[in-house]
Amino acid sequence: MTEMRYRIVGADAPPMLQLVDVQHRYGGKVEVLRDVSLTLHAGEKSVLLGCNGSGKSTLLKILNGLIAPTAGRVIYQNEEITPARLKAPALHRRFRGEVALLFQNPDAMLFNPTVFDEIAFGPRQLGVPDIEARVHHWAEQVGVGAHLTRPPFALSGGEKQKVCLAALLVLEPKVLLLDEPTASLDPRSTGWLIDFLASLPVTTLTTTHNLSLAPELGNRALVLGEDHHLIYDGPIQALLGDMEKLTAANLVHTHRHRHGNIEHQHTHVHDWQ
Amino acid sequence: MNRDRAALFAYLAAVLAASWLHDPVWLAAGLAVTLLAAGGAASSLLRRSVLTVLAFNSVISLSYAALAWMQHIMPWETLLRINLRVVLLTSLTFLFIARVNLFRALDFSQNLTYALGLAYSQALTFRRAHEDFRLALASRSLKRPRLIDRYRASAAAAAWFIEKALHAATQSAQALRSRGFFHD
Amino acid sequence: MHIPDGFISPQTYLPAYAVAAGLWAFAARRVRRDLDADTLPFLAAYTALSFVLMMVALPLPGGTTVHAAGIGLLAVSFGGWMGFLAISLVLAMQALLFGDGGITALPINALAMGLVGSFAALAAWKGLGRFNQSVALFLAGWLSIVLPALLVALALGIQPLIAHDAQGAPLFFPFSMNITLPAVVLPHLLVGLAEGVLTVLGYRYLTRLREKLAA
Repeated sequence: MTEMRYRIVGADAPPMLQLVDVQHRYGGKVEVLRDVSLTLHAGEKSVLLGCNGSGKSTLLKILNGLIAPTAGRVIYQNEEITPARLKAPALHRRFRGEVALLFQNPDAMLFNPTVFDEIAFGPRQLGVPDIEARVHHWAEQVGVGAHLTRPPFALSGGEKQKVCLAALLVLEPKVLLLDEPTASLDPRSTGWLIDFLASLPVTTLTTTHNLSLAPELGNRALVLGEDHHLIYDGPIQALLGDMEKLTAANLVHTHRHRHGNIEHQHTHVHDWQ
Repeated sequence: MNRDRAALFAYLAAVLAASWLHDPVWLAAGLAVTLLAAGGAASSLLRRSVLTVLAFNSVISLSYAALAWMQHIMPWETLLRINLRVVLLTSLTFLFIARVNLFRALDFSQNLTYALGLAYSQALTFRRAHEDFRLALASRSLKRPRLIDRYRASAAAAAWFIEKALHAATQSAQALRSRGFFHD
Repeated sequence: MHIPDGFISPQTYLPAYAVAAGLWAFAARRVRRDLDADTLPFLAAYTALSFVLMMVALPLPGGTTVHAAGIGLLAVSFGGWMGFLAISLVLAMQALLFGDGGITALPINALAMGLVGSFAALAAWKGLGRFNQSVALFLAGWLSIVLPALLVALALGIQPLIAHDAQGAPLFFPFSMNITLPAVVLPHLLVGLAEGVLTVLGYRYLTRLREKLAA
């Protein structure tokens, strides 16, 4: 079993996945992304923030080479990713194995007869040896080892998501893209996921619209504004202090607050989901 | 009779009329009138109509031309007539959809409007979800999935939609009841 | 079977509309009798379901992909009249809301796919279901594709006969039955196989899902 090694993060870290001047219009008419450029470096943990409908899911799908942007380029380790280039089996195999996307709806990803088959799907396609050992290892890592013979749809929402994670991680990807992974999780599962992701030496980009969770998911923040621009790209702590930016991105709200007899109003977030 | 219902009747009348015109000249005139009614959107309307029917009509037209050549008959008037009629009817439908609010047109029946409206909004949600199922398989596949894998994925999607539809139906029935829609 | 408008003559679609309308009224009464106040939400849900099932892709060996219809699955799970109404509504949605066209082909498709397709599937299921579930489901799926294809082929094939000009040139669909029957029915024999497989797998999946929900 290959051991995943920690890579050095920082200015020296090699760029892994990039978007260059990406524009995207859904159906050719509805603008979804405008002038988006970003670079994910090896080992970096980043968070993509934005209110609902700001285009976060679309951005992830473009990064995963599933949707070709209306304009702009997607680059993975100096290889340009386009539908045409992905037709080449070698690039396809490498890209799909190394850049993984966890969909917001785990049901969309599950279709095999048992949890074992689900996790084994990728390795079987690769034709690697010792599939059983790999599947068992990753099933244990995420905590679904007891469910290997059950069909995936019989599991709870949180368990399904773990199966999806295991199915992606069994291929030892270099980049993990996660679309609102905590949106439908209960607090205990959310805690588990945060710790688990932090322990993985993988480049991650996680989307969320929950501001209070964001710093747990990464130390770099990218914010998609309602105008479909990337309005912030930098350290997350600095963002959290910038009320103006947060309001502009519709990530915080203002409403009347009641504390006992006092009623006031200010911009804030709630610390629960 | 509200404006949209009148428009619906006009549309249906136009469809009937187009079904009884057989002279290509009249059909072309009808198409011209339709495009005029479209105003500024005329060229994109025409383009959309032609593109929509292009595949099917090309096959039919080419096959018919071949058949006619073998039987030594001239196919031109027939081909012109058929293709003009198809483009005219398709354009009429696109114009109707763009201009008319079907739900207002059908508001003589609360049941029909409701059933159609709810079905439509659910259909849109399902369409987006279906796209996710398709993309998820593409995202996870390192090489072209086997036939059985694609069937399993399709079956899983189908069953998911059935379950969601059942759930949605139960929910809307409860919601409607609580809003007093049913007089029971 | 998405035939653009303009290929079916009014001599065909007007009577078809009359027949379909009568049957819709009947179906609505039957379905309401079975579901009463819950009819509308369930009808809407199954319509959306039918719509999306028609988008599900079925790959055929050899590389082509056809689309599922889910008629058999729907009929076996929710009944023939509900299936008929749901599919008719889908066709109306596609024609008047989604811009897929087909307002003139609607009554023919509704009767062929919605009525004949649903009830043929149901007959196969009820007839053979006692002996072998998978075979019954497969046949239900297959029939729900092949029989409608046959009817549509007939409907198209008679166009030159019933609507032609003085010289005998066709006014609508230009090919007669000796062409439409093989051209339409033969490929659908294959599509039916794919649909049959989907019906079997889909029903199996659905049953286990229901068991899980009930547990």
